[in-house]
Amino acid sequence: MSWLNQRVDDRLIHGQVVVAWGSALRPARIYVVDDQVAASPWERDLLVSAAPDAEVRVLTVAEAAAVWEAERSAPGGALLVLRDLRTARALVESGAAVPAFTLGGLHYAPGKAKIAEYVYLDDADREDARALLQRGVKLEVQDVPATRPQGLMVLDPTVAP
Amino acid sequence: MRRIPALLVTHADLGAALLRAAQQIYGPVGDVEFLSNSEFSRTDLENAIRERVSGWTHGGLVLTDFPGGSCQQCGLLAARGNAEILVVTGMNLPGLLDYLHNREQYPVAELAERLMTRARDSVRVQHARPE
Repeated sequence: MSWLNQRVDDRLIHGQVVVAWGSALRPARIYVVDDQVAASPWERDLLVSAAPDAEVRVLTVAEAAAVWEAERSAPGGALLVLRDLRTARALVESGAAVPAFTLGGLHYAPGKAKIAEYVYLDDADREDARALLQRGVKLEVQDVPATRPQGLMVLDPTVAP
Repeated sequence: MRRIPALLVTHADLGAALLRAAQQIYGPVGDVEFLSNSEFSRTDLENAIRERVSGWTHGGLVLTDFPGGSCQQCGLLAARGNAEILVVTGMNLPGLLDYLHNREQYPVAELAERLMTRARDSVRVQHARPE
């Protein structure tokens, strides 16, 4: 069973992930892939406490790439969450054969343009998206299971390779 | 005793609405701010909370709505290293009213425990008695 969804969300584990996606997909494990958080035991514990119904594993990009294949055949389902497209690209370029990412929450920051209500991108994000699309990785925009996923290229044709 | 300040950090405009509701029952309220998590990334929400509590030289309470949510986690991240700033999660109207009535009566840790108990105990299931 294993990988159920790979989510790009700058809030990492939060309400939408735990309640909406957690209730819909019932993951046994949630992988947070983030070099910065992985280096902080306190922040790791905070994320672990945020999802009491799943086992939370906080890994670096290199660690996640190393376990990607093994997790594919593990019993129970798994969600993967990372904070930005740069990390998503780094994970794929490190060897993880991720078929798709769901852009679930990339909030406004100066220099970023609105793509959807909850997704803002700048040129660096678009470059990372383009690199992922060139590798055949599907990119969709969807915040919660109750909404319809939309292709990123439909919402922002400039990311087309 | 010194008045303990509070910051409501919630999803959407729940904090603003809770405060409006509390004011209808309690009257005008000072020293309580609200902040919505809308539009904020994890890092930006943490920074926004830290900015608002930075003037709390004698501590205070960050009141959040949902255990495990971004408001609670970012409240904890922003309060890290300050033992006098506590995060209370699962805040509702009875809890907020109890805070308003008691924020000058208790030290911060005792007040936080009190609010948690009041908010939790106010959730009830009741059946109307048959005639």
